[in-house]
Amino acid sequence: MTDPADQPLDQQDQAILDRLAAIHALLDPPPADLDERVTFAIELDDLDAEVARLVEQQAVGSGARSAERTRTITFDGESRTVMITVADRQDGMVRIDGWLAPSAAVQVELRLPEPAPRRTVTADTGGRFAFDSVPHGIAQFLVQPPEGSALPRLVTPAFTL
Amino acid sequence: MAVVTLGNGGAGTSQAGPDRAARLGDCLERAQNGEMGALSEVVRELNPLLWHVARGEGLTAEEAADVVQTTWLELLRRLQDIQSPRALTAWLVTATRRGAWRARELSRRQAPDGADRLELTPDPGPAPGEQLLSDERDSALWRHFQRLPERCRALLRIVAQADRPDYSAVAEALGMPIGSIGPTRGRCLAKLRAMLLDDPGWSAR
Repeated sequence: MTDPADQPLDQQDQAILDRLAAIHALLDPPPADLDERVTFAIELDDLDAEVARLVEQQAVGSGARSAERTRTITFDGESRTVMITVADRQDGMVRIDGWLAPSAAVQVELRLPEPAPRRTVTADTGGRFAFDSVPHGIAQFLVQPPEGSALPRLVTPAFTL
Repeated sequence: MAVVTLGNGGAGTSQAGPDRAARLGDCLERAQNGEMGALSEVVRELNPLLWHVARGEGLTAEEAADVVQTTWLELLRRLQDIQSPRALTAWLVTATRRGAWRARELSRRQAPDGADRLELTPDPGPAPGEQLLSDERDSALWRHFQRLPERCRALLRIVAQADRPDYSAVAEALGMPIGSIGPTRGRCLAKLRAMLLDDPGWSAR
């Protein structure tokens, strides 16, 4: 007798797989905003970029006023690391304080979904930079390479503020 | 009668397969020619597949979402090297899997007192969830699916999200031996099918 495993796929097999896909879509669906986050993140004009991964995200407790939440996020690329602290402001916006390692006085761009304009700051020689009064929502960083460097720019994944 | 109450989760049917491949091929080509908006259709089509790859590797929902996103960002640099929708699917599955390993390794190292998180949470896949399945055939299918070895569950869960012409590419990208599924049935599906055909809850209708 022929091994059933060696038989070609038929309608019954297809029906089983289609139902399995539907069941998994019901029981463990991707987050509702996954497509949106990915689409936003890859809307870049220059494709040559070093991708930094989100390696750590943690709440560092509330600030002096209990309404303030603060968390740190670390993005790690092959050649550079971006660390940020996101603090809630009392007016419903957030403040971002960041640090680049190795430190470099380079341009850091914060991309927000349109129609919000991109915001650009230059880090100080110690690699520190800040964005104040940023709305909640998704965001992404683009970090330019130091002048004269052969490195491409660095992009982070889109993350939620 | 198949009562389709769940939606079809992006899974291909045998008819939709070639159509979808042609559509994805078109989007890929447009993106390679600089029309980046064309990629968002590819994202919508393939995100469910990549999500299940990442979840199948034991990531939390948050980790899985990050790995899937990073995979797409990494694709941008490689976009010009990819020749076909099939190659695109295989590349994305492989990259997601590697990203998942890295994320898992990282969270294991970050775990307090070196506890191996993987041993604590062996399978983050769908919760029992049987009560959510109103259709009798779906409950039967789910019940038997749970009895499969873990390797088979991981394979079938992911392959089911792909299009039929891509089954073998996905299985290979998952490191499964050739012939594990597509064009032949393969062991895992043969086993599940045999259990189902013995169950009146599945085969009565």
